[in-house]
Amino acid sequence: MALFASSVGFGLVTASVLAVAAVGFTLQFGVTDVLNLAYGAIMIAGAFVAYVVNQAGLSVWVGLLAAIAVCSLGSVLVNAGVYAPFQRRGTSAITMVIVSLGMTLIIEFGVEAVAGGTSVSYAMSQGTTFHAAGLILTTVQLVIIGVSLAVMAGVHTLLRYTKLGKAMRATAANKTLARNCGIRTGRVMTVTWAITGALCGLAGVVFAMDSGSFNPTSTDIFLVLILAAVFLGGPGQAYGAMLGAAVIGIATEVSAAFIAPDYKYVVAFVALLVMLGLRPTGLLGRPA
Amino acid sequence: MKLATAGLALVLALGLTACASSSSSGTSGSSAPSGSTLTIADVAPFSGPDAALGPTYLATCYGATTAINSAGGVLGHKLACKSVDTRGDPADAVPAVNQMFATTSSLALVIGCTSDEAASVVPIINSHKMAMFCMTGQSEFDHVHFPYFYRLVPPDLEESYAMVAIAQELHYKRIALAFGNDIGSQTFIQPAIGALKKAGITLTTNQTLDLSATTFRTEAEAIIQSHPDAIMTEALGSTDPTLFSEIKQLNGGKMIPIIGTSAAISPPFFKAAAAAVGASAFAADFHADNLVVESSGPAYRAFSKALLAEQGKVPGATGNFTTYLSAPGGVHLYDGINLAALAMIMSKSTSPAVYGPDIIKIGDGVPGATVVYSFAQGAAALKAGKAIRYEGPGGPTSFDSYHDSTGIFQVDTYSSSGAVNVVGSLTATQLRALSG
Amino acid sequence: MNSYYVINLLIYAAVDGMACLGLSQQFGVGGVTNFGFIIFQAAGGYTAAILALPPDSANGGFQSYIGGWNLPFPVPWIGAAVAGGLIALPFTFLVGRRLRGDFAAVGLLVTAVLLNLLATNFVPAFNGDAGLSLIPQPLQAEFIPQSSGYQWGFTVTALVLCAAVYLLLRRVTESPYGRTLRAMRDNDTVADSLGKNLLSLRTGMLVLGGAIAGLSGGVLVSYITTWSPAAWGYAETVVLFAAVIIGGTGNHRGALLGAVLVPVGFEEVTRFIPTSNNLPPNLIPSLEWVAIGLLILVFLWFRPQGVLPERKRVIALPGYQSPTAASERPPVAVSTGQAKPPVVLEATGLVREFGGVRAVDGVSLAVRQGTLTGLIGPNGAGKSTLLAILAGTLPASSGTVVYRGQDITASPAFRRARLGLVRTFQLASEFKRLTVMENLLSAVPGNRGDSLRGALAGKRYWKADETAAIARAQAILARFGLESLANDYAGDLSGGQRRLVEIMRALMAEPGMLLLDEPMAGVHPHLARRIGNELVALCREGMTILMVEHELAIMDEFCDPVAVMADGRVLAEGTMADLRRRSEVVEAYLAG
Repeated sequence: MALFASSVGFGLVTASVLAVAAVGFTLQFGVTDVLNLAYGAIMIAGAFVAYVVNQAGLSVWVGLLAAIAVCSLGSVLVNAGVYAPFQRRGTSAITMVIVSLGMTLIIEFGVEAVAGGTSVSYAMSQGTTFHAAGLILTTVQLVIIGVSLAVMAGVHTLLRYTKLGKAMRATAANKTLARNCGIRTGRVMTVTWAITGALCGLAGVVFAMDSGSFNPTSTDIFLVLILAAVFLGGPGQAYGAMLGAAVIGIATEVSAAFIAPDYKYVVAFVALLVMLGLRPTGLLGRPA
Repeated sequence: MKLATAGLALVLALGLTACASSSSSGTSGSSAPSGSTLTIADVAPFSGPDAALGPTYLATCYGATTAINSAGGVLGHKLACKSVDTRGDPADAVPAVNQMFATTSSLALVIGCTSDEAASVVPIINSHKMAMFCMTGQSEFDHVHFPYFYRLVPPDLEESYAMVAIAQELHYKRIALAFGNDIGSQTFIQPAIGALKKAGITLTTNQTLDLSATTFRTEAEAIIQSHPDAIMTEALGSTDPTLFSEIKQLNGGKMIPIIGTSAAISPPFFKAAAAAVGASAFAADFHADNLVVESSGPAYRAFSKALLAEQGKVPGATGNFTTYLSAPGGVHLYDGINLAALAMIMSKSTSPAVYGPDIIKIGDGVPGATVVYSFAQGAAALKAGKAIRYEGPGGPTSFDSYHDSTGIFQVDTYSSSGAVNVVGSLTATQLRALSG
Repeated sequence: MNSYYVINLLIYAAVDGMACLGLSQQFGVGGVTNFGFIIFQAAGGYTAAILALPPDSANGGFQSYIGGWNLPFPVPWIGAAVAGGLIALPFTFLVGRRLRGDFAAVGLLVTAVLLNLLATNFVPAFNGDAGLSLIPQPLQAEFIPQSSGYQWGFTVTALVLCAAVYLLLRRVTESPYGRTLRAMRDNDTVADSLGKNLLSLRTGMLVLGGAIAGLSGGVLVSYITTWSPAAWGYAETVVLFAAVIIGGTGNHRGALLGAVLVPVGFEEVTRFIPTSNNLPPNLIPSLEWVAIGLLILVFLWFRPQGVLPERKRVIALPGYQSPTAASERPPVAVSTGQAKPPVVLEATGLVREFGGVRAVDGVSLAVRQGTLTGLIGPNGAGKSTLLAILAGTLPASSGTVVYRGQDITASPAFRRARLGLVRTFQLASEFKRLTVMENLLSAVPGNRGDSLRGALAGKRYWKADETAAIARAQAILARFGLESLANDYAGDLSGGQRRLVEIMRALMAEPGMLLLDEPMAGVHPHLARRIGNELVALCREGMTILMVEHELAIMDEFCDPVAVMADGRVLAEGTMADLRRRSEVVEAYLAG
């Protein structure tokens, strides 16, 4: 029983990291219609930006800010330089996925070419460990959960209460209609890439903080978890991504405790496939 | 039309073959032209998850060959080292090795061949009649005849018993297992479970770690909650260090004692583990089994001098070379190279088909043989017409019919600066008592 | 220099060639983007291994695996192909009609990762991460596998197999079935509406490509005598995709070229870079991957058709018939004074609800044979939605559709097309990378060559049907005056010409009833009238047509009766003159 409680606690941490990443991914997809598989690569690039800052002697939290800035700008540039031109040409959705795979290779192995293949870790203390109600969490993990909650609240506010958020929702629902209503969809897209790129960088650093150590290929499997969370909740649905992240995060850790730990990701992947097969619009999406 | 495809390919093949000189299999083994440089190839991963291994062995190669060259070389030849990247993948290793044979004149020896690629490359190297000293503990090489295969590292089976023997000596009554799911590590589990039973030690939990995951908190918590006295583990890459740091966190800042395998005796491993939990915390309660290696004496002195001289000169091999002095990839390959070089002198040939049997003779020794502790000594003794027995930093060898030599095990620990200390040894009897 | 390296390269070229051919068939011809492709090669590899290996207690019992029946060559290779084909079947749920192409691709990628994970962790099946080793080579008891003769024999066998696969796929692709596959690739919704069973086509492609990939795995495993999860991560699929994209999608020779350039050429070239440099050891492999990513992007941008683009299939038109002869139509039995013609299509209470909005709100409609019925209404009235429901492109939320007395409410679009109910689309829907002739031929039902079995049987089996279809197509082209465009790519035509191609293609499907969605939209008024006249002529010959249009003038001139829709309901039905007098119709148009 104690193991269950603590694994739920770990699940919350995983879910928090996943939530930040999944929300960014799903917003990107919803507004721009690009299934950006390079998301994981940009995450790890952000993690390494923070590492470089950290190695230079600054706190990793400063590195976090640097990563956010770099990934935000980077995402905007990737879109402007690669995705948007392809989309303007009328490239099919499936070819866009292949394009994003190409970008993944370039970014991920570009980072590896510079940083090397060996694992590194941040120089940071995890803080004190708290035991409460069967959960065991360190300070850093609590901060991660806090950051994730703040992000979710921020996204909620953005989408519900700001003009930009409403414009994003309209563009996601029907780009042509949105444009006809006077929304400057081009600008909305650029801002969306900037915001979701920032989330991507944040997610990357938080992911690296949560792992004991990381290397340029660490996010390969994590990307699949992000996809699982996104499709579970419904692609393009921000709240769906949050729900999906919670489910996937907790399910993987609990199944590690009770089924064999080496199969813990199997649960997530099977959930994703079942979802795709039965209800591709996800739990919170409207059925077509 | 249909002939075009097949025909084109055949023409291409024939054309390329035309530039091949007499291509009977294994020409690479014939005696090299005098004065040329002999090549020792380091066939190992230089990229991929085990990228640290290739450069480590390369460092050893540099050390050994520099010492040999300054003692006059072999039969008038100098030795040089070449790296062959297998990428850690059996399908990629095959063309790598084939290309090596195609483009390396005067190949005299292969070292390396880790568990990542041994299964696919050993048969190829063997069929080219090239001698190889391999670093794989895989069990198939315990029982299958490859005449050109030589191994100085212990089979994984034996290491499992050694780990349990260490647990016995330290009077641990409850052990948790945490092994990675990769080739090199998964072979430890079953023998370990059997041995623990025989030793009357309780197995508290058996956690298999997925090496592609980045956190193992649940596994760490499961281990902690099973209240073991110690954890037996091998999970390469970043997994063990991550696991250690999470155990420490969840266990209120205290590490649980660790028993590792010989793979843990390596500079990169110490570096990563120390970064994860702190050097002194890690070193305080860590033991690993290792084949007995000398830490003093004439063999060690020669080895140490040769290897440390290469610090900073080996591309890709960063890290403190003093830690290589007790690493299996350092000690045993150095011995392998020396054995091969001495065998070449003894048999007056650089062809493995000819000098191979002399490796056994020099390694096992014939009655009345002079014991030598370095290449220089051995070369001098051979020149004087004596029969020799080579005893390097890896201790005395004793090859079985499969060319495997496994010696006595010792128990290693680390100091907080990363230096390896030998704190005890295990006898063959102890290990036999635990085997199934 | 010895020849073993050359042998190695040739065998890898043959294996990668086969794999790329299989992928080219699935992706380049069939339009099925299978990011899990490597699984099929893996399945073949494992199957060949466990068929050839002795029981797992042999060799010291250090491996654990299922199977181990020590079967002789060629059983392992046959088993590998069969396994590759069989494992494709569970994948079909991902590539069925309902899932978006890019979602399906992601699902397949995840499946590849999942299966790799399972194979790694479930040790009793395939010995986990260590994989299987000491796999017996074909005929190793009869010959010496290390000998030069054996190795060359193996090489030649592999190359011959690759050539055989190439010929097999060429036979499949250059047949009516192949044309249908390419049509599906170009526009699957339209292919569906022309009577093509997409699920069955995609399953066929998965199984065929899978079997070929499985065979390639079997050959590879027999050569390197070992097989483990490290050899088939999803990165391998990316390399194969890069090869096919660079070599030429949709061209099997391009696939072979891609196999030689990328997995063989590119990966081997880097081995020749001298290692005595001071570069960090992982730099070159990392840069290799970056280069592959760049190549994918560069090719997709500058030359998406690849180095060897897909060839145009030019169909010779047998003899040129003068337009007048072709426009002779058999006299029509004009039935005056007869009772009202029978109802061909009847819709009752059709409702289509989506997200709380009722696009179609209880529509009942009866269309009689030989009529050119018009359907008009303001924007957003639900006309196109109604058409889609009648055609089966969209399902109805409730209500029934009966065609010639048969309830087709639950029938999918392709089945309705096969019954004779054929639709056209509002937006351009020609098969762009097929010629005009191919577009027309693709719609012909009942061509013996239009199935996998028929294609495999060869040209002699389906030549007669094909010749007849070509003659029909030529007649229709002549009727509409477009014979000169027969061998042009449909995508290169002007808007009006494409519209005509669509109508001609719909006619080739031997429809009993046509559902036309704004056929005159964006068409020159002169051409529009010609189309209108043709449609009227068809109706006189017994065809039934329901046509959605905006232009009231067209309704005036050609259609009788006409139905008016607004807000998802049919307001009124009758001749245009009648409708103009009814106030609710006028109001709907002014208000809507």
